[in-house]
Amino acid sequence: MDFTLKIWRQESQKAKGRFETYKITDISPDCSFLEMLDILNESLVNKLSHPVCFDHDCREGICGMCGLYINGHPHGPDSAITTCQLHMRKFKDGETITIEPWRAKPFPIIRDLVVDRTALDKIIQEGGYVSVTTGGVPDGNSILIPKHKADKAMDSASCIGCGACVAACKNASAMLFVSAKVSQLALLPQGKPEAATRVQNMVAKMDQLGFGNCTNTYACEAECPKEIKRSNIARMNREFILAKVASEEDLQQ
Amino acid sequence: MKLIQFASITKKIALAAFGLFLLLFLPVHLGINLCLLRDDGGEWYRNASHFMGTNYIVKVFEIVLLASVLLHICLAIYLTIENWLARPVRYKVRTKTKTPFMSRYMIWTGGIIACFLVLHFINFYFVKLDLVQGKYSASIEQVDKLFQQKAIKLQQGELNEKEQAALMAQYQAISQISPEKMDKSQKNMVNLTKEEVIQYCGEDFKHVEPDFYTMSKELFANKTYSLIYLVVFVVLGFHLYHAINSLAQTLGLSHRKYSPIIDWISVFYAVLVPLGFAIIPLWFMFVK
Ligand code: HEM
Ligand code: SF4
Ligand code: FES
Repeated sequence: MDFTLKIWRQESQKAKGRFETYKITDISPDCSFLEMLDILNESLVNKLSHPVCFDHDCREGICGMCGLYINGHPHGPDSAITTCQLHMRKFKDGETITIEPWRAKPFPIIRDLVVDRTALDKIIQEGGYVSVTTGGVPDGNSILIPKHKADKAMDSASCIGCGACVAACKNASAMLFVSAKVSQLALLPQGKPEAATRVQNMVAKMDQLGFGNCTNTYACEAECPKEIKRSNIARMNREFILAKVASEEDLQQ
Repeated sequence: MKLIQFASITKKIALAAFGLFLLLFLPVHLGINLCLLRDDGGEWYRNASHFMGTNYIVKVFEIVLLASVLLHICLAIYLTIENWLARPVRYKVRTKTKTPFMSRYMIWTGGIIACFLVLHFINFYFVKLDLVQGKYSASIEQVDKLFQQKAIKLQQGELNEKEQAALMAQYQAISQISPEKMDKSQKNMVNLTKEEVIQYCGEDFKHVEPDFYTMSKELFANKTYSLIYLVVFVVLGFHLYHAINSLAQTLGLSHRKYSPIIDWISVFYAVLVPLGFAIIPLWFMFVK
């Protein structure tokens, strides 16, 4: 397969970026998207020019490092997958593919398609600790958790922190990500003791870092590779209201 | 900029709460408007307007309502600007993600509604505040009663010279009133300006309520106005459709059992309420 690639190139955070056009030929339909970029980079290196920088690590859809805005979709046109799981057979032969970095104020560009997603880590840090009992191995059934709650918590916990929700949102809002992180703990008894503080601190951090406000447009849900659901956002709103109204704990700010 | 200190979710909840109040108000407003359709020369409608114009509880709600509109608009603009600033560099390829259509244009549908509100206030609400000249009516019965009271006072010599002159002027004016200024039932004087009201009915009628019935009839006789009102009702429907769904989500109401019900309420409300409002200009355009 042959493709025309329009790729965002930017030397550094401060530098002015631009789109460069590259032709690439003889790509196998079974080639993954990142392999296709590897092939492009090899040819660029052979011509002694700078390869296109892009983030990746596991290449099996579990680490959340990869993330490209491809033809108007974070993680490309396929659904419920990360960029590394995207294959060239999803594109038409001869198609022009435009590749852009995640765009959001809290995600400054490091180089080309690589953005700094430390902001998401900062929000997680702000969530603080979870109290656990140390000592001997506890009995498996000493804390009872209803199956549906365990399932929902597990679903929420499957967020890999890729930031596609922020990239997809017209407001660059991180609500889906934050709500997944809040939910996975709020749903379980182990997460209850710090739940009220956690949700308030994480939301405050999210706001402070410059993410937008949610307008319940649900682009995040549509593009999330892990199919994190919008009901997480409702749960976080609920947790937040309850914390504001009922929690007697003072926040350490 | 104290507003910054409120969390994003708090601001959203406030926006939703003000929006909810507006949602509760719209059916009340609609109910009163629908009285216009009754072919009673505006009796029901005038009674309803009179109640809304004079009842003290309603007056308190009026202030809360105005505040809600203003705060809803201010918060909406503030939040939207924050949202734009959160993505300083736009994508070259516009998003292809499928999202509910109306959720993407809330500030624009809201903006159109806000512009309409200005027009609507000039048409009606500012008349009540005496900022804009409106149309007034007065019931012959009431005027007569007052007139007779004064006549008795005159006979008993309780009126001073100025009052006597005023009474004579009023008598003259009212005896020469043109037939167009009487309604079909001959019970009411209609189509008066404020000056005419005072001229015909005396100073006691200085605080007479505007005759919204005649004003509505006249306004919707104008095709341009009717058309503007109709277009805005469609836009309002779009705003409301996303608004109700969004409201539930913002307040954390999301549940396998009742979320589908909320979806249905959104559809019904967003179709029925604007449709109800739209019937009125349509009625005056095509039936009357
Ligand atoms: C009759 C008038 C109106 C009603 C009943 C109404 C109702 C609502 C409701 C219930 C919401 C949902 C709130 C939420 O989910 O947080 C909303 C959102 C919104 N409204 Fe209004 N509104 C009205 C007029 C306006 C006006 C005049 C503007 C003008 C700027 C406006 C702009 C917005 C915006 C920007 C949102 C946020 C949308 C979102 O979060 O997706 N609205 N409205
Ligand atoms: S919620 Fe989904 S899109 Fe957002 S960071 Fe987590 S996995 Fe990525
Ligand atoms: S590289 Fe790890 S998820 Fe794509």
